[in-house]
Amino acid sequence: MGKSIAVENLRAWYGDQLTLKGIDMELEANRATAIIGPSGCGKSTFIRCLNRLHETVPHSRVEGEIRLGDEDLYRMDPVDVRRVVGMVFQKANPFPMMSIFDNVALALRLNGIRRKRELFERVEKSLRMAALWDEVKDRLRDPATALSGGQQQRLCIARALAMEPDVLLMDEPTSALDPGSTLRVEELIEALKSSYTIVIVTHNMQQAARVADRTAFFLNGELIEYGDTATLFTKPADPRTEAYVTGRFG
Amino acid sequence: MGMRTMKRMPANAKIANRLFVAAAGLSASSPILFLLLITGIVLVQSIPALRWMGWHFLTGITWNMGSVYGAMTVKNGVTAPAGASYGALPFIVGTLASSAIALVIAIPISLGTAMILAYRVRGVVKSALSIVVELLAGVPSVVLGLWGVVVLAPWVSSALGPFLTHFGPAIPFLKGPVGTGMGLLTSGLVLALMVIPIITATTRDLLERVPLHYREGGVALGMTNWEVVRHICLPHIRDGMIGSIALGWGRAMGETMAVLMVSGSAVNMLPHNLYSPISTMAAVIADQLDSAMTDASHMAVHALSALALVLLMLTLLTNLAARLLVNRSRGSRRIDLGVRV
Ligand SMILES: Nc1ncnc2c1ncn2[C@@H]1O[C@H](COP(=O)(O)OP(=O)(O)OP(=O)(O)O)[C@@H](O)[C@H]1O
Ligand SMILES: [Mg+2]
Repeated sequence: MGKSIAVENLRAWYGDQLTLKGIDMELEANRATAIIGPSGCGKSTFIRCLNRLHETVPHSRVEGEIRLGDEDLYRMDPVDVRRVVGMVFQKANPFPMMSIFDNVALALRLNGIRRKRELFERVEKSLRMAALWDEVKDRLRDPATALSGGQQQRLCIARALAMEPDVLLMDEPTSALDPGSTLRVEELIEALKSSYTIVIVTHNMQQAARVADRTAFFLNGELIEYGDTATLFTKPADPRTEAYVTGRFG
Repeated sequence: MGMRTMKRMPANAKIANRLFVAAAGLSASSPILFLLLITGIVLVQSIPALRWMGWHFLTGITWNMGSVYGAMTVKNGVTAPAGASYGALPFIVGTLASSAIALVIAIPISLGTAMILAYRVRGVVKSALSIVVELLAGVPSVVLGLWGVVVLAPWVSSALGPFLTHFGPAIPFLKGPVGTGMGLLTSGLVLALMVIPIITATTRDLLERVPLHYREGGVALGMTNWEVVRHICLPHIRDGMIGSIALGWGRAMGETMAVLMVSGSAVNMLPHNLYSPISTMAAVIADQLDSAMTDASHMAVHALSALALVLLMLTLLTNLAARLLVNRSRGSRRIDLGVRV
């Protein structure tokens, strides 16, 4: 089941460069939240703080507080955080030396699921959730790299779902996909959001409008506006938001 | 008409290209020519010894020049001093065993060091550690040998060896006596020290080249650093690592000076435990060449050539095996792209 995320005065640095300048934001459980904003405004940095991936970058630093449900994210072991906060990257990154099956099964195995039957069931379930099962069920032993870009991205989603996370972060998951694959991923998000907290970064405002319940507009490392997707796109409160969503800059 | 002449390649460009292709071809084939030449010479030099001993050259245990100043005997059409016998098995075993020990020790240490260098440390610490590894690669083997004699062998004899004998009941090869410390284990340790920098440097470079987004993919799934290295990076660098291990193995089998100094120079015996004196093929060749020259029948020199031939073959075989392993994993999935010149 999804968990809510409460971000308080989050600041993030790359070296000396302050990239997130104090973000306050509540992400609701079992909802899809879109993050929009011009390139370089800190969208990726923001969601990489939510699974503590930001701190793996050399010379990076984070301050502030993030609560996941009622736990302090920065008091947890980062490895544990990433088991409950899954992530899908902009560039599909299935493990290239592994089969389709093993891509999904690897993390399960490492979590102690050894029995063949259970493993298979979990893999199948994840692949079905990612709407990939029918396309790969006869070729589970093929290398993951034999899949198309869109299939690879859905494999990455299946891989993240296999861990049964509470939160799913998606950083421009469809930016490298064709319209057909994009549609399938969007349908997927639609189907998943009743049971996961989804945060999706996107440059595609139609996409945000289609899949997200709430949308946040970032600019220069600050959260400018955050609210109902429909409201943010039709009646933005801030002129900068309006300029962005009407395509006048960014 | 004018346009057509413009488009044709000028004659000197054509000649230059032909020269380039010829020169490149010549340089590319020179390693093969060298290898064939060396193998040929060693092979020709070995033949009398191989005829004298037959297969017993590989299975015999006694290495003896016979009475060099006594009567000559003729066997299988070749002449040698009476009593001459060249059984290389102890040296073959010594070479394989000491280099295997070296690899068993060196592989995990190199992998760990490479992992730390590639992923854990940064800045000054990283360059300092890298320099240390490179310096280690540059230590002359005779210096390592000296250190082996003065420091390592006494330590093996008084501390490491006695400790390992506790496992004797489980693994008979670890049973004592430990002896002087000059022998198989110390040779393996010294060789490990020579192999570690080779494998570490390659592995570090390979690890650094694993694309970040694959590693992040693993990290984002909640894998620990070690799990990421083990399950994502290692499969990625497997081919390169096999190559560097083969390279290190070749180095360990061919190493002469340091081993000669710490091996205990066993003759006519197979190692009976981890601490026995041994000899390796390379060490014996270097050690005995001088006295072999005194054999008027030249059989002793031929025998050493045959030893060199075996060493050469073993080294080539390990490299070939590495190549096969690499190719098998590659299968038909990958197609090399590129422009052929
Ligand atoms: N690894 C890094 N090292 C240094 N600076 C970085 C690094 N990654 C990002 N930055 C900087 O941080 C800022 C925010 O980057 P971020 O990737 O979060 O932007 P983004 O909103 O995701 O942009 P895009 O839409 O192009 O993906 C940028 O100015 C960028 O140059
Ligand atoms: Mg980004």
